Amino acid sequence: MKINFYLPKILKYITLLLVFSLLLLIIQSAIATREFQIAIFLVLALILIAITYLSSISVPLKFFLPGILFLTAFVIAPILYTVVMSTFKYQTGNYISKEESIERIKLLATTPDESGTTFDIVLGKYDNQFAVLASNPIDQQYFISTPTNKINIGIDQVDIDENGVALKAPNFDAATVLESSELDQQYSTIRFKYEGDYFILLEGSSVGAVVRQSFNYNQDADRFENLIDDQVYTDNGAGNFANINDPEDVLQPGWRSPIWFSHYMDIVRNEKVRDPLISVFIWTVVFASLTVLTQFGLGLLVAMAMNKAIRGRKIYRSIFILPYAMPSIMSILIWAGMFNTEFGAINTLFNSEIAWFQNPNFSRFAVILVNLWLGFPYFYLITSGAMQAIPGELSEAAQIDGATPRQVFSRITLPLLLKIVSPLLVASFAFNFNNFNLIYLLTGGGPRNDLDGEVAGATDILISYTYRIAFGTNVQDLGFASAISVIIFFIVATISLFGIRKSKVLDSFS
Amino acid sequence: MKKQFGDNLWRHTVAISVSLFALFPLYLIIISSFNPTGSLKITSFIPSSFSLVNYEKLFNDPTIPYLVWMKNTVVISSVVAVVSVVIGASAAFAFSRLKFKGKKTGIQFLFLVQMFPAILALSAVYVIMERVYKFAPTIGLGTQPGLLLVYLGGAMGVNIWLLKGFVDSIPIDLDEAAKVDGATAMQTYWQIFIPLAAPILAVVSLLSFIGTFNEFILARLFLVDMNSRTVAVGLQGFIGGQYSENWGAFAAGSIIASIPIVIIFLSLQKYIISGLTAGSVKG
Repeated sequence: MKINFYLPKILKYITLLLVFSLLLLIIQSAIATREFQIAIFLVLALILIAITYLSSISVPLKFFLPGILFLTAFVIAPILYTVVMSTFKYQTGNYISKEESIERIKLLATTPDESGTTFDIVLGKYDNQFAVLASNPIDQQYFISTPTNKINIGIDQVDIDENGVALKAPNFDAATVLESSELDQQYSTIRFKYEGDYFILLEGSSVGAVVRQSFNYNQDADRFENLIDDQVYTDNGAGNFANINDPEDVLQPGWRSPIWFSHYMDIVRNEKVRDPLISVFIWTVVFASLTVLTQFGLGLLVAMAMNKAIRGRKIYRSIFILPYAMPSIMSILIWAGMFNTEFGAINTLFNSEIAWFQNPNFSRFAVILVNLWLGFPYFYLITSGAMQAIPGELSEAAQIDGATPRQVFSRITLPLLLKIVSPLLVASFAFNFNNFNLIYLLTGGGPRNDLDGEVAGATDILISYTYRIAFGTNVQDLGFASAISVIIFFIVATISLFGIRKSKVLDSFS
Repeated sequence: MKKQFGDNLWRHTVAISVSLFALFPLYLIIISSFNPTGSLKITSFIPSSFSLVNYEKLFNDPTIPYLVWMKNTVVISSVVAVVSVVIGASAAFAFSRLKFKGKKTGIQFLFLVQMFPAILALSAVYVIMERVYKFAPTIGLGTQPGLLLVYLGGAMGVNIWLLKGFVDSIPIDLDEAAKVDGATAMQTYWQIFIPLAAPILAVVSLLSFIGTFNEFILARLFLVDMNSRTVAVGLQGFIGGQYSENWGAFAAGSIIASIPIVIIFLSLQKYIISGLTAGSVKG
């Protein structure tokens, strides 16, 4: 009995100890890399866990806390962060922070000397400092260079190879080939001493160029000055340093910069942004509506046909459920193969040569057809369940009053059925509004005119369009993608609230 | 009698045509998987030869780490299934049995939050996990543990309705008796509720398993490395663009991966349909 009493406690403390040490470890490295927002969240989580499980302040919280923490970290925080990101210029070329951007520009902004001098380079250490051994075989000039020093060496002091490149020098600890390939990255950011303003920057692991700084960052004025032609570059408020005389001339890389509601303004004002978005939106609504209509229509038809004990009903029923039981990802990939123009089963079956996914309308048809296959069993199951729930007396009474079967169906069965399934129709609409897998795996959103740099394809729905903007093209625009996500949030929220009001589901929680 | 026949005729016509529609892709993928040429092109819909070469390719070709993908999928889906059912069950228990302030607001909030597909905040999840990767490379972007964590974000919301419905159906007398005997809420939960709920917890975790199995977009974004992929991501990448060449092996792979899911699904039909009418839609 004693063991029974202590065991849960012991388990509890061991688990807590593990969680605490793990969290502390992560917090410590988060602080070390200056990820303070994440560190603060984790510290709060740690404190909450400690208070909740080491005291009896709140019993319900003991049950909720793990769920709440995960929900906050991976659902609520990302939603809020999406809203924040949508007010930023946050894309390829404007991805890092301003501090990082300044550092990068400083590092990259160099200009070679007039004759474009280069040296053959061997990486290594000198006096325990990062150093390079530079050779100019033609002039037989050799020296070791560290970030602070340049030590000239006579040809008699170095070991040279057949090309006249120095491999060894006194006090120089050359890196092996294997080490060089790993050190490459590290050395490429170091400036090795040359003469005057000039220094040596590595180009790959065996060549160094003589360059000098071409831009100077003026910290007080927060601007870059070109040391060669005296142009001045200031913060343009859109994530870049731009030439004050030529706003198009910006320094790369830029940084993610707050631009407030520019993305939303663009959606309203800029027709290059607005028009594709509107056409994608229209197709999204058409796609979701047609899907619900066709799925419900076929489901209802099948349910009506099966609404009587005909022979083989059980077998039919099992067959109808199969498309729904298959993992949808696999089914979609199978259908994608079937629609292949040259070899696909559909063209073989109908002896046709339709380029399904090259033609906008054929692609749209294919998308709807595949979704019908995937979804009609769901509505079949729902409607046949709902039909059983409709009291038989109603239709019997109507028949006695002389109603034809058609009248019974259209005046009694269908309205009652719609009343039962309408929240599910709304839910299905909302689900298909964001049916990413189908579009992405079947058509990839295409066809689209890639040559014109078109991002929106003929079958792209908002969510696949968003994904493409964020991850799919050459310029990955997370800021704009977030702005569209926020808009979708509102659309989905509206639809869902409408659905909830209809189904009165929230009342049942009171 | 004639009328009866006519009535049955249209029913059978509908049933047979819809059956053909439903079965066609499945039939095709099965005959493709046994087609020795392994190509997408089929000259006849009635198979003339039978071969296991596609299945052999799947298990022996070192460029297709199919077994690794399967293992990854099973591990990821199982961990998510178990952990999310524990999280969901405790939340359902608390919502059903404990009295606390803000209960109604809490459950309404949860209901609203879980309606937004995770993919909407994808860019943000990506950026956050990219940052996490910088200081904790084992749980950040591109790792299986990172993917698991993101999946668990939805753990509390997704299955809570089914679970809460079940908790509500357990007679409250049991808890009260336990309370009289001096049991704390935790003890009631572990010693009375969990054993009683074991069957439904098993069902819910299997449903969650199917859900994770079917998840594609996050898995695709996180699992870049060939050997860390799930079956869905692996097969998609493997077939991507080269339908004609890899079709046979893909067919075999998708059949093997689908069979367990179909079996789970068919055996849980009853629960899934009651879950359906509760307003959830399978992904």
